[in-house]
Amino acid sequence: MIELSGVCKAYKVGDEPLTVLHGIDLRIEEGEFVSIMGPSGSGKSTLMHIIGCLDTPSAGEYRLCGTSVGGLSARDLAVLRNRTIGFVFQNFHLLPRITAVRNVELPLLYAGVSRAQRRSRALELLARVGMEDRAQHLPTALSGGQKQRVAIARALANDPALILADEPTGALDQRTGLEIIELLRELHSAGRTIVVITHDPTVAAAADRTIYIVDGHIQREEVRRG
Amino acid sequence: MNAWEMVSMALISLRTNKLRSFLTMLGILIGVASIIAIVAIGNGGKAAVLGAIASGSAENTIQIVPRELVAPGLPQPGQVLAIDESDLAIAASFSGVQQVNYTLYGTAVVGSSNRSDNASIEAGPANLNELTRLRITRGHMFNQADVIGHRDVAVLSQSLANKLFGSGNPIGGLVTVSGVPLQVIGVAVSQEASLFSLFMGSDALYMPATTCQDLFPNWSISEMDVQAAPGTNVQNLAQRIVTALNIHAGDATAFADSSGLASSVGALLSKVTTILTLVIGAIAGIALLVGGVGVMNIMLVSVTERTQEIGIRISLGATRTAILFQFLVESATITAIGGLAGVVIGSLIGLGIRMATGIPASVPWPVAVLSFLFSAVIGVVCGLYPANKAARLNPIEALRYE
Ligand SMILES: Nc1ncnc2c1ncn2[C@@H]1O[C@H](COP(=O)(O)OP(=O)(O)O)[C@@H](O)[C@H]1O
Ligand SMILES: [Mg+2]
Repeated sequence: MIELSGVCKAYKVGDEPLTVLHGIDLRIEEGEFVSIMGPSGSGKSTLMHIIGCLDTPSAGEYRLCGTSVGGLSARDLAVLRNRTIGFVFQNFHLLPRITAVRNVELPLLYAGVSRAQRRSRALELLARVGMEDRAQHLPTALSGGQKQRVAIARALANDPALILADEPTGALDQRTGLEIIELLRELHSAGRTIVVITHDPTVAAAADRTIYIVDGHIQREEVRRG
Repeated sequence: MNAWEMVSMALISLRTNKLRSFLTMLGILIGVASIIAIVAIGNGGKAAVLGAIASGSAENTIQIVPRELVAPGLPQPGQVLAIDESDLAIAASFSGVQQVNYTLYGTAVVGSSNRSDNASIEAGPANLNELTRLRITRGHMFNQADVIGHRDVAVLSQSLANKLFGSGNPIGGLVTVSGVPLQVIGVAVSQEASLFSLFMGSDALYMPATTCQDLFPNWSISEMDVQAAPGTNVQNLAQRIVTALNIHAGDATAFADSSGLASSVGALLSKVTTILTLVIGAIAGIALLVGGVGVMNIMLVSVTERTQEIGIRISLGATRTAILFQFLVESATITAIGGLAGVVIGSLIGLGIRMATGIPASVPWPVAVLSFLFSAVIGVVCGLYPANKAARLNPIEALRYE
């Protein structure tokens, strides 16, 4: 499903180019549950942004579902993010001024789903993550764990094949974090490909495979199952 | 996402920051309201002035006055100040003239059993109501027989009738003018738009010219009303009569066709009102422009504040076009609502002025529709730069923005 070959990412900081990713080669198969670990600033989020088509590599090739992402237009990339990828962020990234159910409706809105279908699908998804009774709440009225559940419901809106989670438990206490990981495991059992970035070894251990990144290089990987 | 859904999204977003949305709207609202009010007043003022001027010119009637009466100033020695019987005879001798009437104006004390008051007296032929644009609201106008018979009858203006008779019925009642009792046969309202009556008062008594001459033998005839036969070239006839009268008076400038003069004054006044409306309208337009700049400013602030929201939306699959439209629709919704409120408030101001002063202020509907559409266009134009800025944001930087 995901194929990176020689992917580099460099930023210009002042006059100096700062290389964040050095020639990453990585394959993730469909239906895998992969965790990515590494120290802060090692380039994990940058890698996830490239995988999520929010960013493009400075060099190297990235193929998603067999197509080279480098050749796609901005509109194609938007469609890809909308239909194929679901993002879960550390800080939830819910829109603060609209209700939970409206947040979940957003990807459906951009997919052109009709108003009535949007609402029923969003409520269904909220029920799926155990948040049906919080549908009309604003994000500020939800706890961290509840916010992350709503964010996961939103990521699932268009039934994407790939879920990318960047430190989804980073802002949660341990127990709530494990609940979220349990939810991700359930999604994995249902056949989705899941990539989780984390600092937490117990979270990483939930995955089939863990990839360790240090200073923009893949240092090693650890396979548990699969 | 259809257009209506985009507007409803924009409304949701605008509702989350009500005060700011309202203040942004206010600039457009004030601009549009002042344009609408100015157009309404300008239109009404023009109609009032033209109505007042046109009031002296019933169809096929030539109104001739001594020039002194239209060109104020101290009379020259020997200048003609009044019309006499021989002048009337000259006018009557022209072919195409059906009838020559005359009107007298003055003021007198008019009394009823209750009270008495000063009023202007207008005396003339049976079609005086057409000449001075009166609308009879009760009773009837005096007729030809009343004029020929020197009958002691009078028509009162509404305000004079109210003063003299209060809430009672004035028809059939008696009023005394210069000690002579006249029977009230009608009540009339002047249709001359009230610009003039506003300043000159509207207590008036109308009576047959003949009766008036009996009461006030020393009042002079101040206007000759020549009734032309249908199909006559009225302007040409007027010129020939005036020339003949001037030769008779031995003064080339003794008389003037006041209807012709009125229309040229009318044209000038109409031009002046138009220019005034344009000038004030331009100032209101500048106010609208400033409102538009305000909208652009707030939209820029809004885009900056919502940088993270934009990043989130892009990560969820929003295209750049979707982001662009989101902000354009928001901006246009603000200004369209402001414009709509402006049209309503401007019209209400016009209505208020109409009720307070009687100036027939009115807003032509194309002006209202255009103002509304124009304010929506201002929203689109002023939203373009901020919306484009939003659509061009780098998603990762936007997501990281705090
Ligand atoms: N837009 C940018 N411009 C410059 N440097 C950046 C930018 N984005 C990330 N970086 C740098 O890239 C490195 C990796 O960042 P990131 O991928 O967020 O790390 P991680 O998620 O592993 O903590 C950091 O040193 C960070 O400062
Ligand atoms: Mg990170």
